[in-house]
Amino acid sequence: MTLLLQLLLNALVNASIYSLLAVGFGLVYRSMRFFHIAFGAVYIIASYAVIAGMNISGFPLILSIAAGVLVGALSGVAMDKTVYLPLEKTGATPTILFIASLGIYILIVNLIALLFGNEVRILSRGIEPSLSIGSLIITRMQIVQFLAGWIVIILFWLIIRKNTFMKGIWALGETPTLVRVLGLPYGLMRTVVFALSSAFAGTASLLIALDVGIDPHVGMQALLTGAVAVIVGGVDVYWGWIGGAVILAVVQSMAVWQFSSRWNDLITFGILIVVLLFRPQGLFSPRKRREER
Amino acid sequence: MEKLKIKNISKAINGLKIVDRVTASFLPGRITGLIGPNGAGKTTLFHIITGELRSDTGEINYRGEDITSLPPYRVARKGIGRLFQDVRVFENLTVSENVVSACYDHRVETPWFPFLRKKRWKALERELKEKSDYYIDYVGLMEMKDVPASSLSYGQQKLLAIARLLAGGFSLLLLDEPTAGLNPVMIKKILNILKRIVAEDQGKTIVLVEHDMSVVTEVADWVYFMNEGRIAFFGRTDHVLGDKEVREIYLGL
Amino acid sequence: MNYILHLLIMIEIYLILAYGLNLVVGFGGLLSLCHAVFYGIGAYASTLLMIKTGISFLPAMLMGMAITALFAFLVGIPALRFRGDHFVLVTLGFQMIVFTVLYNWVGLTRGPYGIPEIPRPGVFGYEITSLIGYLILVGVILMVTIIILFILYKSPFGLALKALRDDEMAAEGLGKSPVHTFLYAFIIAGGFASLAGSLYATYVTYIDPTSFTLDESIFLLSVLLVGGTGNRLGPLVGVVFMILLPEALRFLGLPDTVAPNVRQMIYGLTLILLMFLRPQGIAGEYKINHYGKAEN
Repeated sequence: MTLLLQLLLNALVNASIYSLLAVGFGLVYRSMRFFHIAFGAVYIIASYAVIAGMNISGFPLILSIAAGVLVGALSGVAMDKTVYLPLEKTGATPTILFIASLGIYILIVNLIALLFGNEVRILSRGIEPSLSIGSLIITRMQIVQFLAGWIVIILFWLIIRKNTFMKGIWALGETPTLVRVLGLPYGLMRTVVFALSSAFAGTASLLIALDVGIDPHVGMQALLTGAVAVIVGGVDVYWGWIGGAVILAVVQSMAVWQFSSRWNDLITFGILIVVLLFRPQGLFSPRKRREER
Repeated sequence: MEKLKIKNISKAINGLKIVDRVTASFLPGRITGLIGPNGAGKTTLFHIITGELRSDTGEINYRGEDITSLPPYRVARKGIGRLFQDVRVFENLTVSENVVSACYDHRVETPWFPFLRKKRWKALERELKEKSDYYIDYVGLMEMKDVPASSLSYGQQKLLAIARLLAGGFSLLLLDEPTAGLNPVMIKKILNILKRIVAEDQGKTIVLVEHDMSVVTEVADWVYFMNEGRIAFFGRTDHVLGDKEVREIYLGL
Repeated sequence: MNYILHLLIMIEIYLILAYGLNLVVGFGGLLSLCHAVFYGIGAYASTLLMIKTGISFLPAMLMGMAITALFAFLVGIPALRFRGDHFVLVTLGFQMIVFTVLYNWVGLTRGPYGIPEIPRPGVFGYEITSLIGYLILVGVILMVTIIILFILYKSPFGLALKALRDDEMAAEGLGKSPVHTFLYAFIIAGGFASLAGSLYATYVTYIDPTSFTLDESIFLLSVLLVGGTGNRLGPLVGVVFMILLPEALRFLGLPDTVAPNVRQMIYGLTLILLMFLRPQGIAGEYKINHYGKAEN
């Protein structure tokens, strides 16, 4: 029983990180309607920016983290401005953007591997102090992850509900041409979408890097987690993304309880395929899939 | 006698009735018009007939067979062909390949056919080369035969789509605004082709959705007038177009 | 000289993989990210059959092909309910699931420890051990593959695939069934990938799951995207480019620690540039669709 509760607790912490990834991925997927694989590259950029910064000077950690998230955000925007936007102007379809995104991912991950090596780098120092809640154990880092993640998610939700600009961004995914026709600042909206998406990725990245470290190849895992969460939950529902993330985290923990964590990928993608088969619009999406064609 | 019989077809999307209890018959050997203001449900009706969309109620009968819930490729195999509003040629294929692709029976398009029936395949290729050339010539695209369809002008693509339909040997042709966006010369060309089709083969049924009234009066003897999802009028073309209500709703007169 | 032979053998194996995948990606217009596990299932199935039941190479290879074709059928059915992104995701899911099984079902596949000492192929009583022998063996299978696939490319089946690729609605309107046609293509591609896997396994005589990862599926897809799809020349150009590039880099004196990363960076950059300048790849026929002029 204790083990089960402990695993659930871990799941809630993981869900917070997964939610950040889901929202980060979902923002682009929903607004721009293409599969931004390079999100996986953006994910690692923030942490490696901090690593680079730490090598150069002795910045205090908090400042470095903020700088890392900022660099991550900027890199995402840069990807859009240099590749996605110009391609869209030439009439590129989502497939072309997907392939270009793949190219960006491969390019950046290998550039980083070239510059920093393939080994895992940990940003923190020493063993994490842990807390006991009854018979359950939680580390300080886990508390930070839990709080940081959920606070960001909820704050963000509060903002998008009220703010017209953000509502406009949401509309982008629904009726992109209408947004332009209405004279809304399309370019600015794109920038905001990518900046936010990348900031979320960077935040998640740092929360993990400070805990267990980072290497150039974990970006794909992060991307896939975010993408599966979004699709399982439902592309068109913000809380669906979060719901998807929670489901993934909980089911993975349950799997650890029954089997071992080796089968995580099978579970994650098994869920994806089952959901796509029986409820392709996502578990939390209310209406039926867009009426035929 | 009827080729295509539609009975009580309705379709609501998001609560809005796009097609409302439509009942109609389309007879062979003639061109029947389907006219009405934008949003009247004409294209949706086509989608329902071809199986792209499923109707909420009613049935569709073609030559005595119930085709109501068949998927589009099955409907096509029953002999119902369609010209889309947005043309839809196979862009990366040449004009010739576009037409030939319409000639193949589906049993020939299997992976084992070229191996198990090799001789038949070679013979078929020779036959179809002639057949496709015939239809390409019929629509006057012979010079562009080996050009990729993407290089054709809009009007030429429409002609190609028509050639494809003809080559496909369909007995019922659903034409969705075949003359839209074309210059008068092209339009005349297409209308002549349509008239020729029905004249040469009394077994063919053509249903024509059109906004250009001069086109309708020229080729269609009978029309259905659709408005807000319902069939509002049916009759001989001059009679329907002369009706006061139709003129008010549609022609703004 | 031995090294050159090795390169040629690997090129032959990758050509089998590429020409098969071309049927799905180039002719069908569907991006698949699970080709590596078809490659892997072929490798593992034929290897396990040879080791555990003692049957010889050719029957093992053919049975492996049948098993892989079955898997392709089982994945294809759900995957082909979708197109575009969702299709890719289902194939991606299948890739990850099969990889996880290959890696973790140690009882069957020995997982990360791999399967060593795979028996050399015995063909009509003659055991192949030399590089030249392999070159010929793989070469013959490659020839058969090419003959079969080139006929399919030219056949009504191939044309139907291209029509469905270019405009599915219009093709359906001509009586072509998308699911049936795409499914055949998917199964055939899987079958040939399986052949490549069996050949690979007996060539390197050791296999482990790390040869059949998502990265490998991405690589195979990239080969086609770079070289070009939908015709006969594209896959050849793609394979030669992607396999010889690392050799060229090494030749230019790039140190081995850096070379793999630089090579990948070049692949990535090439993909991006191609999407801008030449979406049909270097030598392909199929230009991945842009939204039509009408919509611009």
